[in-house]
Amino acid sequence: MALVAVVVVAGCYLAHRALAITRRPLLVSPFQSGWPPEEHALSRYHVRWYLVTVLFLAFDVEMLFMYPWAVVVAELGATAVVEMFVFLAGVLVAVVWAWREGALRWV
Amino acid sequence: MGVSGALARLALRHAHLLVIEVPGYWLTRVAVERLAGVRGWRLAVSPADADILAVCGSPGPELALVVARLWEQLPGPRARIDVAAPDLVAAALDQAEAMLRDTPRQRRDSTARDGQGLDDAPGGDIALAHGSEDRDGLEMDVLQVRLGPVLPDWPAGLVLRAHLHGDLIVEAQAGVVDAGQGGPAGGGHVVGGDTSGDIRQVDAGEVAARRCDNAARLLALAGWPDAAGGARAIRDRLLTGDRSAAITELARLRRRVRRSWLLRWSLRRVGPLPPDELARLGLAPDLTGDVWDRLNGMLDRAVFVTGGPAGVAAGGPAGAGVGGPTGFDVGGSVTPPAAVASVVSGWDVATARLIVASLDIAALDVVTDG
Amino acid sequence: MADLPAVVSGGWAPVAAGLLGALAVAAALLDGALAGRAAGVRSGMGQPAGEVARLLRQRRRTTVAADRLLWRIGGAGLLGMALMIVTVVPLGRWTLFDLGVGVVWVNALDVLAWAFVWLTGWGANSAYALVGGYRFLAHGLAYELPLMFALVAPAVAASSLRVGEVAAAQQGLWFVVWMPVAFVVYCLGVVAIAVWGPFSPALGRDVAGGVTAELSGVDRLLFLAGRYALLAAGAAFAVPMFLGGGAGPLLPAWAWVLVKAAVLLAGLVWLRRRVPALRPDVFMEVGWLVLLPAVLLQDLLVAVVVIGG
Repeated sequence: MALVAVVVVAGCYLAHRALAITRRPLLVSPFQSGWPPEEHALSRYHVRWYLVTVLFLAFDVEMLFMYPWAVVVAELGATAVVEMFVFLAGVLVAVVWAWREGALRWV
Repeated sequence: MGVSGALARLALRHAHLLVIEVPGYWLTRVAVERLAGVRGWRLAVSPADADILAVCGSPGPELALVVARLWEQLPGPRARIDVAAPDLVAAALDQAEAMLRDTPRQRRDSTARDGQGLDDAPGGDIALAHGSEDRDGLEMDVLQVRLGPVLPDWPAGLVLRAHLHGDLIVEAQAGVVDAGQGGPAGGGHVVGGDTSGDIRQVDAGEVAARRCDNAARLLALAGWPDAAGGARAIRDRLLTGDRSAAITELARLRRRVRRSWLLRWSLRRVGPLPPDELARLGLAPDLTGDVWDRLNGMLDRAVFVTGGPAGVAAGGPAGAGVGGPTGFDVGGSVTPPAAVASVVSGWDVATARLIVASLDIAALDVVTDG
Repeated sequence: MADLPAVVSGGWAPVAAGLLGALAVAAALLDGALAGRAAGVRSGMGQPAGEVARLLRQRRRTTVAADRLLWRIGGAGLLGMALMIVTVVPLGRWTLFDLGVGVVWVNALDVLAWAFVWLTGWGANSAYALVGGYRFLAHGLAYELPLMFALVAPAVAASSLRVGEVAAAQQGLWFVVWMPVAFVVYCLGVVAIAVWGPFSPALGRDVAGGVTAELSGVDRLLFLAGRYALLAAGAAFAVPMFLGGGAGPLLPAWAWVLVKAAVLLAGLVWLRRRVPALRPDVFMEVGWLVLLPAVLLQDLLVAVVVIGG
């Protein structure tokens, strides 16, 4: 399928080469409402992204445990469910704390 | 030529236009939008997205330079039309279509330019963003970005120079393009082009259409293209004389907007402006509240004007200061750019755009702000 | 239908890609028709064809100091991602790739959307495009976790991460019936990955098209096609996960898969006309404080039912 994807994308580019009025891309300065840009756009972004990202990572790592757990939970029974959701509840407390601290409020 | 001819024909049924409104040429811009829509064409959001650059009105020197820069940014096939009046629009669009259809001509145009811009020579001389402290005292890059004059759903002629931390506007200065060129920016046939207190001969349909156009912009920015399209259709009906159908649809749109809890939730508490703040900034008193209130206010004013007594005087006899339904300021006011700069500071770009659109701007005062 | 799908040779991959393409084209036609009807234009259905012709004829652009490699990878990546997702979706009795951890595979792929959309915004060196890219990340931070936990619910119920087994576990009762929260959250996730409708601020008009602000020609075409393909792939994956796979009367199993995918896809396309955009900054709190707890409760409910039954 990866091969198919490559063929499709390459096919589109080849079709464009054949059909477009010019093959060569046009070099322009980035659009900024009609003004020349004063600086490169690539800059450090506001800190609010990083706070949520850290919170996200905690859950993301937790997800790694969740997949194997999903396969075996039926065999292991009630203990597995209790353990997993006590853990999740613990992480949710962190979310509530982060929310109270304003990490999720952006405006 | 068979394939490229067929391709051109198919492509032309769905051409995209980037429309530039010179302050004062509102009716021309609206006519371009309407007639382009009839052809199945769409409005482009950036030069990369556009086939046609439609300049409505005759730009002053500063705007002319902006237009020239944008013209260089169109990828091609490209066509530029300059339209000076609503009744010239149909012919201009035909002309654009013919230009785009002419594949050999487009080929020549494309090979003739390798994309070196005008004065902003690509490569090299763009600086890196500088650091400064953010609102929490952390070091942050500051990006100077100008919003306007050419941006989708943006008031004609307004230029907002924003200092961005990421996408947060920490500070802004506003001005009007070609401010030195005499006359208020909303001259010509714009409603409320002057500030004298006289009762003017203003067509109520046009006033209402203007409110619908501004509401359409706000709805489009709120990410609801269908409702925005509905508001534009009402605007066009009001201007082309189909008044009674427009009034029915306007009432329906108003109900639809009021019922959308998602829209309400999204616009509530955004950009709140208390009456004393409005007075200090020189904005009309009926803009009190948040963006949601102001959106509904716009639609209410449109309904009020169409349903009110014939020959409504713009602004009412000294009515701008009176609250309540009889005191509607129906669009005769001139917005000072400094007020726009003031109300967007501290918001992120998306919210700031909603706030600007909610101010129901009809004309801008040319007095610029530092 | 209790038997698991048989793996077919990789030679069938073009067929699977063709079916995905057909679904994506159908979605584009429907979207064009709905948009045309809303705007009162007749030519709505012809819009996708016209758009393709226009973009194939249009010249490509590159911007000053663009990160060209990453920019193009981002633009073409969405399409590749959609194709890789459908490899694990069984079409009735056949599947291309019977991966033991098929659910994790899809999950891993959908996170790639973050990279691709953001890179498309980053690569152009344009302030507006970059704002768009970051908006997508903001949405991503809010929708991704609920989406992940929504995908876990069917896996818990089936005690398997193999997509074919999840589909087979829904004999008699489709998962959508008793895990509606997970299904709704999953659909929201699909809409978000495709930067569609309520999750389109990354492509917002207010920032001149956001991520797509500098794209033209075939580069724009691939990005837009990738969005439709992702919407279609997401709808197709919902069929084995929530909608009973190929189960259904009269029609053969493969036809049911296509019918269910098409119906769900039509619903997702239609959604765009009805609702305004969700502002990323406001959605952040919703994602973390409403969707996440709701879908965790759903998982708990499923787990309790599984150990009880």
